[in-house]
Amino acid sequence: MVRYLAAWGFALLLGAAARAGEHTAPAALAPIADSAWSRAHAAHLLGRAGFGGTPREIDRLAALGPRAAVRRLVRFEGAAADTLPPFEHSGIFDEGLDPFPPSRPATTKLATETGEALGIKVRTGGNRPLQPIVNKFFYWLRASRLETDRVTQWWAERMLRSPRPLEEKMALFWHGHFATSEDKVRDYRKMLQQLELFQRAGLGNFRTLLVAVAQDPAMLAYLDAGVNVKGSPNENFAREIMELFTMGVGNYSEHDIREAARAFTGWNFVGTEFHVDPAKHDDGPKTFLGETGNFDGVDIIDRILAHPATPAFIATKLYRFFVREDLAPTLQAALADELVALDYELAPFLEKLFLSRDFYADASRGTRIKSPVEFVISTYRRLGLTNLPGAPDFNLVTGALGQRLMHPPTVAGWSYGRSWITPSLLIERGNFALDLAFPDIEFIPEDRYPVYPTGEEIRAVHRRLRAGADMTTATRPVEAGMSEESGMMTAMSNQVDREEAFNTRYGSYRGWQMAIERVKPIERDLAPLDLTHMVLKAELATPLAVVDHFAHRFLSVPLTEDTRRLLAAAFERELGSADVLANATSLEEPLRVLLHLVLSRPEYQLG
Amino acid sequence: MTTRRHFIKRGAAVGAAALTSAFVPRLRAAGDERILVVFELSGGNDGLNTIVPYADDTYYRLRPRIGLKRDELLVLDEHYGMNPGLAGMHRLWNDGNLAVVHGCGYEHPSYSHFTSMAYWHTASPNSGDAYGWVGRLADALEPEPRTNFLINIDSAQSLAVNSRVHTPVVFDEPERFQRLALAREREVLERVATNASGNPARDYLNMVAASANEASTQVREAWRDYHSPVDYGLLPAQLDKVAACVSAGLPARLYYLAFRNNAFDTHVQQRDLHQRLLTYASDAVAGFLADLERIGAADRVVVLMFSEFGRRAGENTNLGTDHGTANVMFLAGKSVRGGHYGTPPDLTELDDTDNLRHTTDFRRVYATAIDGWMQPGASETVLKGRFEPFPVFG
Repeated sequence: MVRYLAAWGFALLLGAAARAGEHTAPAALAPIADSAWSRAHAAHLLGRAGFGGTPREIDRLAALGPRAAVRRLVRFEGAAADTLPPFEHSGIFDEGLDPFPPSRPATTKLATETGEALGIKVRTGGNRPLQPIVNKFFYWLRASRLETDRVTQWWAERMLRSPRPLEEKMALFWHGHFATSEDKVRDYRKMLQQLELFQRAGLGNFRTLLVAVAQDPAMLAYLDAGVNVKGSPNENFAREIMELFTMGVGNYSEHDIREAARAFTGWNFVGTEFHVDPAKHDDGPKTFLGETGNFDGVDIIDRILAHPATPAFIATKLYRFFVREDLAPTLQAALADELVALDYELAPFLEKLFLSRDFYADASRGTRIKSPVEFVISTYRRLGLTNLPGAPDFNLVTGALGQRLMHPPTVAGWSYGRSWITPSLLIERGNFALDLAFPDIEFIPEDRYPVYPTGEEIRAVHRRLRAGADMTTATRPVEAGMSEESGMMTAMSNQVDREEAFNTRYGSYRGWQMAIERVKPIERDLAPLDLTHMVLKAELATPLAVVDHFAHRFLSVPLTEDTRRLLAAAFERELGSADVLANATSLEEPLRVLLHLVLSRPEYQLG
Repeated sequence: MTTRRHFIKRGAAVGAAALTSAFVPRLRAAGDERILVVFELSGGNDGLNTIVPYADDTYYRLRPRIGLKRDELLVLDEHYGMNPGLAGMHRLWNDGNLAVVHGCGYEHPSYSHFTSMAYWHTASPNSGDAYGWVGRLADALEPEPRTNFLINIDSAQSLAVNSRVHTPVVFDEPERFQRLALAREREVLERVATNASGNPARDYLNMVAASANEASTQVREAWRDYHSPVDYGLLPAQLDKVAACVSAGLPARLYYLAFRNNAFDTHVQQRDLHQRLLTYASDAVAGFLADLERIGAADRVVVLMFSEFGRRAGENTNLGTDHGTANVMFLAGKSVRGGHYGTPPDLTELDDTDNLRHTTDFRRVYATAIDGWMQPGASETVLKGRFEPFPVFG
């Protein structure tokens, strides 16, 4: 919620920027001199334009010099070919699921009225004739969610391994910008398609991207395109495209929103394709941002892009994501001018940003709080891992830390900066480090075992059915204060199986079974840490040398002398000696403790 | 992350509750100070279908399909009835413990969730204030930093609790508000630099780290020791955690909670959904107040409920409602003098966007909670202006 404030202060600044009129690019945007370039600069660049790396990767980037290093990261010049595999579908979809009704009641109503839903005909006899349809409804809800977790797992793997990390970093930026949630879209295929759009076009032209997003099925589903029709426009998308995606509040009127909504009427999707229904499109004249015409959605987008608030909004948001939170109004104006001059081409804009003196200024380095996804991925990259561990679970960890991909909290996406850190979230980050250093043997994979919020109910239904309960008894709520078994015995003695069209709780249970039968499991391999090898290879002989190496590898800011000595003393205590090499065969556990301590430091959150 | 240790904790809580079903109320000596709980219904609750003006024909003309009929309502009087989902709050009304304030809003309303919510959070429309009104109230009540004085139970910190003096304690699940570490690591982990580094983000992290250890211990112990037989409904909305903190005698005088994920944003097919959301919220509040009675703190706690805006007076074509303006607010608690406050907006006098015209500046309700309940005379400073309180207390 701190984000509201950021967005708000930002709107005020925009007003100031727009009034400033002509601008000259401040010296801050001038490129740094080759002679000023250092290894620390390379580490900073790789952290921001990617997800960090091992000391060796940073050395290699540093050796290129600033221009070639930035071109490697932004233009992929000299980068290895991307040979990572595409997403491997489990195969959970069938044609009967499309179009998927908006709710369970809508599904059973459709079945009752037409005799069929979700590709299944209503059974001609017996109790609960709609049950298979209800089962399939829940099957898809669960399966799509689990498959979406596999999509994010695949994406995280790309963040970790891609030779073009900026593609993934930009996809992450756009996912937070054009925030769309599977909770509402309920179709992993659309979510994957949107992600692939961000990966493919995220560094291209902003106009191209914006039009593609406005016509993207996941976005159309998320912002209610289906109900935005001629004669009764729905303002949801029209409002958000201006407020959150392009201009920011205060630059348009409520009238502009209503007129824009009319221009977007009839835009919808069929399956996973964009589709315009001419009968539902209002092609009458609209007055938008002071101009009148028979505008359609693309016309509206072009008028939004021509408004001075838009380049300022986008340039500033990119700056805040890649450089730092605060920026002077003159710099803001210069960045907006730059984006306009580049005709909204994003790669050259970022190239300019990553070469600028301002990007390497003290105020920019080691001052940014890493987002949960960056925190986790950069930890793995700094450790030199080449595969994403299956435990700790990527989605559960980042979710617990406040950034579950494909499930942003609202259409405004995530708020960055200080809002990533609260007392409990800071502790939770340390707990992730502990699970990494010393695996949690009680970890339960949620892609097989049903947990909160309906998991308990699903498990209860499962156990009761197997103990011989009829469906009515098995699906009774567990009464507080009564053990499951005695509750069931009482229920079985007083009840007979009910006659009904369907049983929702059974559907929820059966849907889970069907989902885990189809959705491929996530492999649960642990991180293959070999800290001993890391330390011996670097020929570190003393506890202080070991601590310095850890600081060098993991931290973006120097440790205070106090902390450095505190950590060295703790490591020496663990090892039982100050002689690292003499104890080379028993180093691993003390090193794991040190890893946990270093990664739990407040300083480690900075990048 | 879910692991077996959390299941065990949950199971243990249920078991303990079952064992002590006789439930001797555990009276706590700790603290006799008054507490305010602010409960946000995020997404824009539809006030007209919450407190329904069933006697007004215009209501049914505006809402021919989603309007709630008199015989569906929990009738309050000859003009108003509650949404059938509000059984819990209806009991509070009947007991005289629920104040309904009508027509709350502000000049030049914003229809943006984010902008409007920022207005409500800062209580200073268009000012861009960095601190929230709950944070400023904390500063007024307690000018020196104090651990666990201001608690925000959520996954992210609300702008409303941003405070100049205090570090708000923000947590979601008490069981997880715990540093997991080996015994011999703890001393090292708890040592945090306190001097300024010249890097504001680093100083911020150090400050949060310093307060996290103490806060987490207190909160976790409070939750561990809390076992209640009281039913909070299907979604306790974190109010059970507030009860645990109050029961344990934590120093917090301000709590802030929000209904998750913009849930009340009911643009489409809203009828069942809206009723369900209200049931969750209302059962949770009623359960909470009953639980406070058990704890012996019922006369020390007041709940304030709000939403960033109401919804459009007329229904839309999708059997839902779009973003609107004026709305009802609630104050609930044993010390509240129940009844209607403020002037209901006239349904026949909509503005040119077909919205209700607000009759009550929402900050009057904040002023009521501040001056009438927390600290007489403090509202002018906290709200940066004079807002007339309603005679809800005393």
